[in-house]
Amino acid sequence: METRPDLPEPRRGLSRRGLLKGFGATLGLAAFAKAIAPLTEWAPTVSLDEFLQKHYLELSPVDLEIILRRLERETREQYGTDVTIADHRAPAGVKFGYALNLSICNGCRRCAEACHLENNHDRPSHQSYIRVFEMQKGSLDLEKGNVHYDHPVPQPDKFYLPVQCQQCERPPCVEVCPVEATWKEPDGIVVVDYNWCIGCRYCQAACPYHARRFNWTKPQIPATEINPDQSYLSNRIRPQGTMEKCHFCLHRTRNGRLPACLEACPTGARVFGNLLDPDSEIRQVLAHKRVFVLKEELGLRPQFFYFFDV
Amino acid sequence: MACALLTIGAGLAWAVGRELAAARSGDAPASGPMVAGTNHPVIIGRPAGPPTVLAGFTDHQGDPVQVTCGACHTTTQPNLAIRSGEQLEQFHQGLHYAHGSLSCLSCHNAEDYDTLRLADGSPVEFGDVMQLCGQCHGPQLRDYERGLHGGMTGYWDLTRGPRSRHNCITCHDPHAPAYPLVHPVFPPRDRVAAGVHP
Amino acid sequence: MNTAPAIGQPTTTPAGHWRNYFRFLARVAWESFDGNWTFYVWMTVLTAVALVGANAWAVQVRDGLALTHMNDHVSWGLYIANFTFLVGLAAGGVMMVIPAYLYHDEEMHHVVIIGELLAIAAIVMCLMFVVADLGRPDRFWHLLPGLGRFNFPVSMLTWDVIVLNVYLLLNLHICGYLLYMRFLGRPANPRWYVPFVFVSIVWAISIHTVTAFLYCGLGGRPFWNTALLAPRFLASAFVSGPAFIIVAIHVIRRVVGGDFASGPVRTLVNIMRVTILINLLMVVSEVFTEFYTGGAHTSSARYLYFGLHGHNALVPWIWTSLAMTVAAAALLLRPGVTGHPVLLISACALAFAGIWIEKGMGLIVPGFVPSTLHEMVEYQPSLIEWKITAGIWAVGLMIYTLALKVAMNVFPPAGAQTPLGVPAASWPRSPVSVADGR
Repeated sequence: METRPDLPEPRRGLSRRGLLKGFGATLGLAAFAKAIAPLTEWAPTVSLDEFLQKHYLELSPVDLEIILRRLERETREQYGTDVTIADHRAPAGVKFGYALNLSICNGCRRCAEACHLENNHDRPSHQSYIRVFEMQKGSLDLEKGNVHYDHPVPQPDKFYLPVQCQQCERPPCVEVCPVEATWKEPDGIVVVDYNWCIGCRYCQAACPYHARRFNWTKPQIPATEINPDQSYLSNRIRPQGTMEKCHFCLHRTRNGRLPACLEACPTGARVFGNLLDPDSEIRQVLAHKRVFVLKEELGLRPQFFYFFDV
Repeated sequence: MACALLTIGAGLAWAVGRELAAARSGDAPASGPMVAGTNHPVIIGRPAGPPTVLAGFTDHQGDPVQVTCGACHTTTQPNLAIRSGEQLEQFHQGLHYAHGSLSCLSCHNAEDYDTLRLADGSPVEFGDVMQLCGQCHGPQLRDYERGLHGGMTGYWDLTRGPRSRHNCITCHDPHAPAYPLVHPVFPPRDRVAAGVHP
Repeated sequence: MNTAPAIGQPTTTPAGHWRNYFRFLARVAWESFDGNWTFYVWMTVLTAVALVGANAWAVQVRDGLALTHMNDHVSWGLYIANFTFLVGLAAGGVMMVIPAYLYHDEEMHHVVIIGELLAIAAIVMCLMFVVADLGRPDRFWHLLPGLGRFNFPVSMLTWDVIVLNVYLLLNLHICGYLLYMRFLGRPANPRWYVPFVFVSIVWAISIHTVTAFLYCGLGGRPFWNTALLAPRFLASAFVSGPAFIIVAIHVIRRVVGGDFASGPVRTLVNIMRVTILINLLMVVSEVFTEFYTGGAHTSSARYLYFGLHGHNALVPWIWTSLAMTVAAAALLLRPGVTGHPVLLISACALAFAGIWIEKGMGLIVPGFVPSTLHEMVEYQPSLIEWKITAGIWAVGLMIYTLALKVAMNVFPPAGAQTPLGVPAASWPRSPVSVADGR
C-alpha cells in the first residue's frame, strides 16, 4: 500500500499506546457482552417460529393451525396445563352491540371478576378489562368518580358506571397502530394480534376510554385457574410486552353465547346482542330507552350504550 | 310422503324430548317462545308451587315436616286487621316485610291460600307470580319481556343454543323486594409506582 | 505492489472508490481511539455509563417493562419524553444551516457541520429511546414496509419513522460526503450536497411537526389536542438546539484554543433571543386558554401547574422550568452576553434544562394525568429508566464527540493552536481553501 508523503510513518510493531488501546478495547467488548447477558436468558423464550410469524390476516388456514398447536404447546411448557386454542371467525350478518342499565347496576364488580377469570388475566394485578366507577348521582363527571370504592353497594346517593372497550366505529387505537396489530373485525369487535404487536403503546395513548391494557410483565396464572377454552384473538394467555383489550368474549359470542360479564351480572343490568337483528334485545334498548354514549363529542361512535330505566 | 312424515315425527320427538329435558332440570321450568325447529328455547325458571313452611315437628322417619299454606289456612279465618308482617304473632314470625303500603291480602288469596290473587280478586298460581308482580310493576315486566330486565345466561343467538332466565322472585324477595346491599368484589390493584398513591 | 491509484487522484473505477472508502472508514475508526488524556477519561466515563444502560435495558427486555414505573394510566414516561426532546434537538441543529445557506453567512458555513453532526447523534438517540420503550423490540421488523405491515399514511407513528430515518440519512450523507471528499483531497461537488442541505432545512421542520402530530391528533387527550402543539415544539427546538451548539462550540474552543466561531455564536444568540421569547409567548397562550376556559379539559393543566386532588408531584418541576426559561431569556437579552462565556453558558444550560423539563415532565406526563377516565395516577421514573436514559445519552455524547473530533481534524478551526489528537496536517489537504471546499 502506497503511503502518502504527508502522513506520519505508520509505527512498526506494537507501541505501548497501541497495547493499551487493544487492552482497553478488549475489556470494553467483554464488559459489553456481560452487560447484555440478560438478553441470553430472554432469547430462549421467543422461538424462531414466533419471531418469523406473519400477521393474522395473512395466515393461511394451514399456517394458522400450525401456530395454534405451537401456542398450545408453549402454554403447556410455560404454564403447566393443557389448553385448546381455536380460531373464531366473525359470523356473517352480525354486528355486536352492548348496553348497560345504569338504574340497575349496583356496583358489585362481579362483571370485572368474571372477565378476570374468563380471560386468563394476570392474577397479582387482578387485571380486568372492566373498571366500575362509583359516580355521584346527578352528574356524569368522571372526575368525581371513584374506582377504588370498597364498601357495601349500592350507596343511596351514588350510581355505578362500568367502563370497558366501546368497540368504536371509528377506533383511534386502530388508526394509530403503526403495524396494524389491531383492527376492527366485520362483526364490530376491535381485536389485537398479540403475536404481531410491538408494544409501542400508542394505542393506549390514543384510547379515550382507558380500554387498552398492556402486559408489563409475563402474566402469572396458576395452572388450576386457567380457562382452557381459548381463542387466538381473545383469551389465550398473552405474551409479555403486548397490548390486549376487551373483545366482547368473542370465543363465546361468535359461537352465539353471551359474554362472561353479562352472565355474571346478578342484577341483569347488561344487554348484549346483534344490532343487525331488529328483534334482538339490544335493538329493543335502542328503540325504547333513552341511550347515551360516553364522550360522544369525540365522534368515535362507540357501540357500548348506557341507559337509565326512565 | 313417508319421508315427510318421518321428518315431522322426528322433529316432534325432538321437541318433546327438549321439553322433557327442560322439565327434568330445575324446579318445573316451562319453555318460553319456541319457533318449531329453528330456535332454541328460552327457559324461564318458575316457582314449583306454593311455598312450604316448617311445621315445627318431625315425621316418623325424623325428617322435618313441611306444610303448604292450605294445611293451616283452610281451617282458620283470615284476619283482615293484619296489614304487615310485623303484626303476625302466632306464626310466620320473623318475616321481614317491606313492600310499601301493601297488605298481606293484597297478594295472598284469602279464599285459597295455595294461590295468589290479582287486583280484581281472580286467583293466580304461584308459578305465574310474574303476572301478579307485573300488575304494579308494569315497566319492569315490559322490560323483562324485551330482555332488558333480570339478566340471562346462555346464548344471545337462539338459533344456536338455549337461554335461561329468572322470574321476578328469583332475585326479589316478594315480601321485601328491594335489592339488598352487597359487598363488592375488591377494587383493582393498579400497577403504580411504590409510594405514589393511586 | 500497488495497483490502486494514489489517494488524491480522481478515481474512475468503482473498485477504487470502495478501496478509498474503506480506508476512510479505517481512518475514522483510528481517530476515534486516539486522543489526549482528557479525551480518554471522557470516553471511558461515557462508556461506563453506556454499559450500565445497556445492562439495564437487557434486564428490562428479559423481565418486562414492569421494572419501569409506567402503568396502564401513565403509559409513556421518561423514554418518550427524551425522545420528544431529542427530536427537537435534532431539528434545532439545523438552525445553523439556515443562516449559512439561505443568508450566505460565510463564517457560519465553516461550522455548520457542528449542527448537522448534532442532528445525527440526536436522531440516533431518538431511535434508541424508541427501541428502549418498545415492549417487544424483537418485533421491530414488523415496522418495515414490505416485510411487515406499515400503517402508512393513517398512523402518525409511521410518518415519524419515515421522516426521522430520512433525516438521519440526509445528514449522514451530507456530513459523510463532505468528510470523505476532504479525505480524498478533492473539492466537494456542490451538486452532491447543496440540494440535500436545502431539503434538510425543510425536513428538520417536518420531523418536529410530525412528532407533534403524534400527540395533537389524539382527541382523547385534550391536554395535547391543541393546534399550538406543533408550533410550540418548533419554538422550543429552536431554543434547545442553538443552546447545545453554543455550549459545544465553547467546549471546542477549550480544546483547540482561540476564538473559534465567534460570529456564528453571535448569530445563534440572536436567534435564541427571538425563539426563547416566542416559546414563552406560546406558554402564556397555553396557560391563558386553559385556565380562563376551565372545565374538565383543563384538568391536566391544573394538575401540572397547581396540583389536583392532592396530587402535585409535577408542580415544582414546571415552575422551575418556567423560572429557568425566563432567567435564560433575561440573560440572553443582556447586551454583550456573547462576551461573557460564563453568563452565556449559564443561559444556554438554563434554557436547555428548562426546555427539557417542559417537554418531558411538562408535556408527556401531564397528558396522562388525569387518565382518560379522570383517574389520578402519578408517575416518577424508576431507577432502571434513569439508567437506560443515562446510557443512551452517553452513547449519543460518544457519537457526537467522535464525530466532532473527526470533523475538527478535517476542517480545522481557523486559528486553532492545538488540534484535537492527531495533527490536522495528517489529513490530506486539498488545493482549495476550506471556505471554497464547501
